[in-house]
Amino acid sequence: MANSTQLKSDALLEQMKQHLTTDAGKQITKKIGLVYQINIAPKKLGIDEVTYVVDLKKGEVTKGSYEGGKPDATFSFKDEDFVKVATGKMNPQIAFMRGAMKIKGSLSAAQKFTPEIFPKPSKM
Amino acid sequence: MAMRELVTGGAACAVPGSSSSSNPLGALANALIGSSSKTQERLQEIPTSTAATSESRFYTDTNDHLRALPGSDFDHSLLQPHAQGSEFLSGFRSANQNGFADAWDEIQHQNQIPPHFDQFHGPGPAPLPQPTLDGPPQRVLSSFLHSFVESSHGRIPFRPTSLPLLGLSEGDKQCIRDRSSIMARHFFADKSEDFINAQVNALLSSLEIDNDARVKGPMPGRFRELEDYWNESQGMVRPGAPAGDGWITEYSQHRAAHGDPDAWAHSFEQQHGANGWASEFEKEQSQLTSIDQMRGVNISNFEAMEQTRMLAHTLAQNNDPKFQHGLLDENSKFLQFVSKMSRGELIIDDNQVKPAASGDWAAEYQQQYSGAPSWADEFARDQAILLSHGPNQWVNEFSTEREQHGSVDDQWVNEFSKLHVDDWAEEFGQQVGENSADNWANAYDEFMNEQVAAKQRSDASRGVYVFSDMNPYVGHPNPLKEGQDLFRKGLLSEAVLALEAEVLKNPNNAEGWRLLGIAHAENDDDQQIGTLDDNGRNRHKERAIDWRLALYFSGYRANTAIAAMMRAQEADPTNLEVLLALGVSHTNELEQAAALKYLYGWLRNHPKYGTLSTPELPESLYYADVARLFIEASLMSPEDADVHIVLGVLYNLSREYDKAIGSFETALKLRPHDYSLWNKLGATQANSIQSADAILAYQQALDLKPNYVRAWANMGISYANQGMYEESIRYYVRALAMNPKADNAWQYLRISLSSASRSDMLEACDSRNLDVLQKEFPL
Repeated sequence: MANSTQLKSDALLEQMKQHLTTDAGKQITKKIGLVYQINIAPKKLGIDEVTYVVDLKKGEVTKGSYEGGKPDATFSFKDEDFVKVATGKMNPQIAFMRGAMKIKGSLSAAQKFTPEIFPKPSKM
Repeated sequence: MAMRELVTGGAACAVPGSSSSSNPLGALANALIGSSSKTQERLQEIPTSTAATSESRFYTDTNDHLRALPGSDFDHSLLQPHAQGSEFLSGFRSANQNGFADAWDEIQHQNQIPPHFDQFHGPGPAPLPQPTLDGPPQRVLSSFLHSFVESSHGRIPFRPTSLPLLGLSEGDKQCIRDRSSIMARHFFADKSEDFINAQVNALLSSLEIDNDARVKGPMPGRFRELEDYWNESQGMVRPGAPAGDGWITEYSQHRAAHGDPDAWAHSFEQQHGANGWASEFEKEQSQLTSIDQMRGVNISNFEAMEQTRMLAHTLAQNNDPKFQHGLLDENSKFLQFVSKMSRGELIIDDNQVKPAASGDWAAEYQQQYSGAPSWADEFARDQAILLSHGPNQWVNEFSTEREQHGSVDDQWVNEFSKLHVDDWAEEFGQQVGENSADNWANAYDEFMNEQVAAKQRSDASRGVYVFSDMNPYVGHPNPLKEGQDLFRKGLLSEAVLALEAEVLKNPNNAEGWRLLGIAHAENDDDQQIGTLDDNGRNRHKERAIDWRLALYFSGYRANTAIAAMMRAQEADPTNLEVLLALGVSHTNELEQAAALKYLYGWLRNHPKYGTLSTPELPESLYYADVARLFIEASLMSPEDADVHIVLGVLYNLSREYDKAIGSFETALKLRPHDYSLWNKLGATQANSIQSADAILAYQQALDLKPNYVRAWANMGISYANQGMYEESIRYYVRALAMNPKADNAWQYLRISLSSASRSDMLEACDSRNLDVLQKEFPL
């Protein structure tokens, strides 16, 4: 299917983008104050990655690599695993231990990357 | 890598442009290790011992130091005190044995001086140099130890020598004894035990050190006889004479069994010298303590861990030196054991592993795991990485290594073992402040869930529906009617059981399957990770079986709505309600392609709009094409709520939420009492950050159907997304009170509890204690 290249994570990050414009989102930006880059691969880590920047300094989500210098932490996920982590189905530590999440950059920044910063999708 | 790498520090320690052997300790190690063919072989098997991979490791900045040092023109420059050499030496220093450390330094320095060096590397067994026996004690000791090393090179029996009083402290002695007996096993890896014993005994007796590990602690009388015997035999030791004492032999064999490079490197790593065991044990103790804390989390297997802790405690009380050394040597196995325990791989049954039988346990365990990859090696490698890198690089290294390893299961324990206990605590503990134990336990929890869920998920992905066990409706005369009644009454969990009974009875009943799928969706448990009711959990707890494991066997459901709907579709491939439900479920799962397929199927099979579709539509279904067809359909019959509903779902897929909201609102005008439609509207609004509006829509749904668990859970989500965490908690708890199997809600509740700084309630959440939660968060 033509749209099969679309990632599940796209939906979540789109929601995140909008969420950051709300009061609750601004609270998160204020609280975290870090820039995360997230590389999401459809099936296999490192292959055909789509890169997002979740800028919790400015309160933005953008596609493509971070251009404002070095992100505080960079994560690599498979699409499915990112959804699991962002929705609290998989704890980031487990993800890390299982190799489902790779981390580059500051460990303390990485530790603030929790499901709490993401808005939750609602079900129809 | 092991010993050589540890000693040499790899290529990075070398002066640039020269080989790694230019490192003085490296030269020493080459001389020592290289003299043992057995050891050599082993070392070559370890890939990281090559210089290339260690290029960036180990204190690269020391190169500058080296260059700045006087005498660095020599190939064999001075020992770099801040480099790995000091690591090495700190092992000797830790017990305040500066005298000995200095002596060791002395050896190193001599190593720099060409004549001595030649001796060292002299071809063939050179005549043994006569140790210098005059001068200050340190000098004498140094010389003496040096000659011991020499003897190893020449493979010549070491002659005990009468030395002047050196004034060695007990600590010094113990340190020398421990080190020499370990190192001798490396020097003489290809020699017999007897020879090694003789060598060590000769060395020790010359230094007037008892080859008896019991230096500290209460000395009960029970070894008196042995001691006498030992002293006697000590007096008779002559070159080449085997040590005759049974205990010594046993002790030495024990040593030998673990005297391989890994164990040596490990022991060397510890850098605790005479107090090594004590600090080792402290470390393990601290780990065990944290395990102890985790008992609060209601994971039955922690009972077994408690037993492990008690076992360790008993070991601590045990003054038997033999055993203590056994523990030291065994600690890799021991840690492995603990981590296996923590994975639930090992369960201690009553009477199987008793504190009293701990000695046997060590042996038994060793036997069992002798073939396993050496933890010590893993540990040593990890240590090396930790030493050489900051934490960030460590993470990278760690991640890289992860990839290279095998299956997830084994990996996990390996990686866990590799984690330095303190780092572990620091890294994972800090995240929720004082709740580190909870946190860890939760992580463990989820890991177990993952493991158990894996197969289930693959079942579910194949559309396999897994039934509940102990269904009271099995045998019911008309379970479908019962299920429909229960569903209408809003008793969703009961309806699920009745409908399961129905489809068990009539596997081709599409309506039974469809309603079952709907019931799961409305009950918000279509994404179960797996639970047992309290009875089930307690039952398995009593039997000390991890209840998740039991779950695996008792039948557990994941993606149940989709699984049920797929069965419905199998039975009735053109059922429009089924196709729409599948489209909605896949949209919820963000599975765009699948959702699109079913929604298009809805159109194709619709008596009125089917003509719009081109039957030979290619595999590549474009979203835009499907959307265009539905827009056409909605123009064809604007009064058909169904078309607007499907269109609304489609717009959700493309995240055109405003259009989706418009479609649902249109449909609601036509069908204002459709509670699920209100929920669809609410969910769409919530996903497009109109959470306040969403709450109004959910309220409409709940007015129409008070037991609509999904709407309750969605309420919670909307409050949480607005940052109103306390409120969200109340709604999640309400949803869970209606359906404790709504796993999504449990996960979200946990997040909201954290966000609301209600960590005090996390335990209730993790143990799924609804009574406590409902009392604390009434709605």
